[in-house]
Amino acid sequence: MTITAIGSGKGGTGKTLIAVSLAHAFAHMGERVLLCDADFGLANAGVHLGVAETGDLKGVIDGKPLKDAVSRIGSGRTGFDLLAAPSGSLASLGEAAVTRLCTALSQANAYDRVLVDLGAGVDGNVMSVAAHADEVLLIVTPDPASLTDAYAFVKLLLRRTTTRVPQVLVNMATNQTEGRRIADALVSSAQAFLRAAPECLGFIPYDPRVTEAVRRQSPLLTLFPQTPAAIALEGVARKMHGHSAPLAAAGLR
Amino acid sequence: MQLRTFLAKDMREALATVRADMGPEAVIIASEKAKGGGVMVRAAVDKTEMEEKPAAAAMLHTAEPILAADFDTGYRDGLLRRLRGTGGVEKKNTLSFDRIELLAALGRHRLPDGLAHALAEMAAKAQLSDMTLALASALDKMMKPYPIDMASANALLLVGPNGAGKTAVAAKIAAHARLAGRRTTLVAADSAGAGAVARLKTFAEHLDSGMATAESAAELNKLVSECIPNRTFVIVDTAGFDPRDAKARTAFTALGQIGRVEAVGVVSALNDAEEAAEIVEALSTLGAKRLIVTGLDLARRAGALTAAATAGIPLAHVTRSPFVAGGLESPTSLTIARLLLDEQRSAQ
Repeated sequence: MTITAIGSGKGGTGKTLIAVSLAHAFAHMGERVLLCDADFGLANAGVHLGVAETGDLKGVIDGKPLKDAVSRIGSGRTGFDLLAAPSGSLASLGEAAVTRLCTALSQANAYDRVLVDLGAGVDGNVMSVAAHADEVLLIVTPDPASLTDAYAFVKLLLRRTTTRVPQVLVNMATNQTEGRRIADALVSSAQAFLRAAPECLGFIPYDPRVTEAVRRQSPLLTLFPQTPAAIALEGVARKMHGHSAPLAAAGLR
Repeated sequence: MQLRTFLAKDMREALATVRADMGPEAVIIASEKAKGGGVMVRAAVDKTEMEEKPAAAAMLHTAEPILAADFDTGYRDGLLRRLRGTGGVEKKNTLSFDRIELLAALGRHRLPDGLAHALAEMAAKAQLSDMTLALASALDKMMKPYPIDMASANALLLVGPNGAGKTAVAAKIAAHARLAGRRTTLVAADSAGAGAVARLKTFAEHLDSGMATAESAAELNKLVSECIPNRTFVIVDTAGFDPRDAKARTAFTALGQIGRVEAVGVVSALNDAEEAAEIVEALSTLGAKRLIVTGLDLARRAGALTAAATAGIPLAHVTRSPFVAGGLESPTSLTIARLLLDEQRSAQ
């Protein structure tokens, strides 16, 4: 079982959409997936998915077994479990509660992968959950503020774990060159000041269909599976799953 | 981590600025060719020891609740403090000279690169620590304010491209002249334009001004010779044309050659800066002695204004209002420098 946390520091970088899409993609590849929305104050994975039942995250913190607390999203091959709290219900979560949640997630052996959508910011709760994950996916966008916030995230994660370096995913890049430039900027700052070299997992192109999918509260991979952003997200999932992306997705000429 | 983006002529200049501004530890994390020449460099430096913020939960207990009433009170107090000019945060109004920042500001206003670099060069040579003054002194060398003296002017011929605002400018000049106690006659030399005569006539009626049409240069000449002896100020509105176009220019030449009539170029501030400069240069070869730039209230970038003002014809006025009564302003190099650096100042 692998716990993958998805964070960015800055808000509005597309964390939740990426988390939901990756949950779909991993489920499609045959993994048993749990998506946990750890944006405690303002959980909105449920909003993205357009579902009413989002699971009982509070219950898990209070000791309820995971299997009774999650809510099933979809059915068959692309189905996965969701664990979240209604938006606004868990605004103030203490450190002990966060630790109990992390422990419960690390014992979720009924799953192959637990995806954790972290909240925005780099406060103690966010960094605790990130430090408990096996791998951290860091979302960066072309916004310079996103770059400095992502850097802060890398720095604080290193301070907590001493060795863990997130993998970088560039979102909303207008083209491959820009995506490469953003990733390089973050990697070279981390190398220069932190002696750490985050690996770049790929680029998700800017794609108006993404906004459309969010607006319709339907998962991108179901609504527009052929759109460039969806294809890129599936490529990222395949890379993380352990397979290299097929040549076609990498741009065979 | 501190992140900054620099715009420079070349990599060497960029590196020097990064070193000077951010210190020797700064690292270049991205660089690319800037649009329209030069390089854009992004540099980072990490000197701060950052601390994790306490979790949101902990902050909720300590933070004071923010009430609407508190906000109102705070706002009112702040306003009063500023109005009385006592205490509070003093807004720093002077910018210190920084060539890169200056170039960036000029770039934001879409000045042509050549002009921006020339201005920056001259501003640097001025050796003034206040950036606004340095830019003003550079502009001063390239432009000349030359407002129209409503009390003594005799006859003006407004020339410029279509839509620059010649008719509105004619009305504005007439309004100012009337206020200065002059008799005026508005002349439509553009009798072919749909509604052109009617529009000028409406203005003339409202301004209690004379109104005439002139079909040819000879007619206009005659009109001017009648008006000048009895101190009537003649303002001639012409048909718009592209002064860069040789054929259109020939058609205009006859009008331009009437003695005692001063040609005044009219261009819109909404042009692309380079277009504006070209139009002004062409107007200058046609014999325009002064320039009026219109529509400054609509332009968010002052590139066209700056390029027009520095293209060789003295700048008489700018217009900043669609209303006839909202008149003709007379900008100086300092006004334009302030306009160009406005954003910089409010950012500070």
